[in-house]
Amino acid sequence: METEVKEKIVSIEKPHLEAPADWQPVIMGILCNWCSYAGSDLTGTSRLQYPPNIRIIRVPCSSRVDPWFIIKSLQASADGVLISGCHPGDCHYISGNYYARRRFLVTKKLLNFVGFHENRVQFSWVSAAEGPKFAKVVSKVTEDIKKLGPLHLYKKENI
Amino acid sequence: MDYTKQIQDIAGRLFSENKIDVFIGYRNTGFDENQVPVLINQYKDVDQLLFTDKSVFNLANYLKYEHTRNKRVGLVVKGCDSRALNLMLTEKQVKRENLYVVGIACKGVVDETGEMAQNCIECVMPDAVIFDEMLGTPSGRREYQENADVRELDGKTLTERQEYFEEVFESCIRCNACRHSCPLCYCAKCCIDQETATLFQGANTTSSAFHALMTWSLHLAGRCVDCRNCEKACPSHLPLHLLHKQNEKVIYGNFQEHLAGMIEEDRGAFYKYSLSDPDDFIM
Repeated sequence: METEVKEKIVSIEKPHLEAPADWQPVIMGILCNWCSYAGSDLTGTSRLQYPPNIRIIRVPCSSRVDPWFIIKSLQASADGVLISGCHPGDCHYISGNYYARRRFLVTKKLLNFVGFHENRVQFSWVSAAEGPKFAKVVSKVTEDIKKLGPLHLYKKENI
Repeated sequence: MDYTKQIQDIAGRLFSENKIDVFIGYRNTGFDENQVPVLINQYKDVDQLLFTDKSVFNLANYLKYEHTRNKRVGLVVKGCDSRALNLMLTEKQVKRENLYVVGIACKGVVDETGEMAQNCIECVMPDAVIFDEMLGTPSGRREYQENADVRELDGKTLTERQEYFEEVFESCIRCNACRHSCPLCYCAKCCIDQETATLFQGANTTSSAFHALMTWSLHLAGRCVDCRNCEKACPSHLPLHLLHKQNEKVIYGNFQEHLAGMIEEDRGAFYKYSLSDPDDFIM
């Protein structure tokens, strides 16, 4: 009799904490209204499959994303964060994503500095016409987070 | 570095000419020659004032409180303090015409152990960048150095850094002294207090400390002038400068060598952009 041996799912930050075998990551997706949200809509209307682990929040522009949102998502139940906006030069508000880009770099480096794996927080540019790219990006992020396991760092506790 | 006499003269002159309502300086506590900031309202208190290498606090911080709002204020600033003052002026928190700024050509202040403080060793601008009157001879701008502690932590592995910072965030007691001591944290309502009414966010947990300190340091990224007032105020002696210096390092390295508050009308690294900013981390 052959038994199927499943690989254990462990958190990269806390290897002693084992996740249940049916664990699925929760990914916070923060998408800009004009490009990425329309792009994700196109993915759906073109009937392309992408993992259902992403929870999407729509914001007016990627520069609306305060680094605070990323920290709050990680502190709540998210195992990873994906932030997506218009390609450089395509911003509906002309320069919003240029400002956002600076903030994202600093946020990503600081989170890495205090001990988060660099794949926990990811960024992408997806235009309204790039449905297949959005599906690919979400698949990649989900796969990355599945490899890292659940995030056990600084989670909110009820007291 | 002792400018006690000059500062007393200047404050006395300003009060007798009725040019200011309040003068912010330092006075002795009487214990171990430690100094505290003092707000002086009248001519006869002027002889309390002094300035030595133990005058560590950033006096620009006191411009954000009621005691000095809409009053004519004289104050003493070192190099780092003047950069903070520069940012406060740019962000329209104080009016230039209400201020009389005594700039110091700083030679460095001491830390608790009596040696020169780390931020003074790595200081890029020891002279006041904004002043009405300058004391001492300016020594000019210095070369930017990467912080020694940040470099040391960068050399460690991800797990080691994570364990180190977990200890840091665990030691935080959420007293918010860092925020109150920062001259650039002047918001009447702070976003990290948003959920204070609920039990978990305002409570002293590692999670809430992580949330508060990370949000705080990211809101100061590109604006922090490395005066280390937060660290002096922290009752748990947390190495808060690590977060700020890490941000400063990334900003200096990637965004045209930007340093906060060096020139007037410069609002900080996140208020401008360049088409050639790094993009390779974005899919």
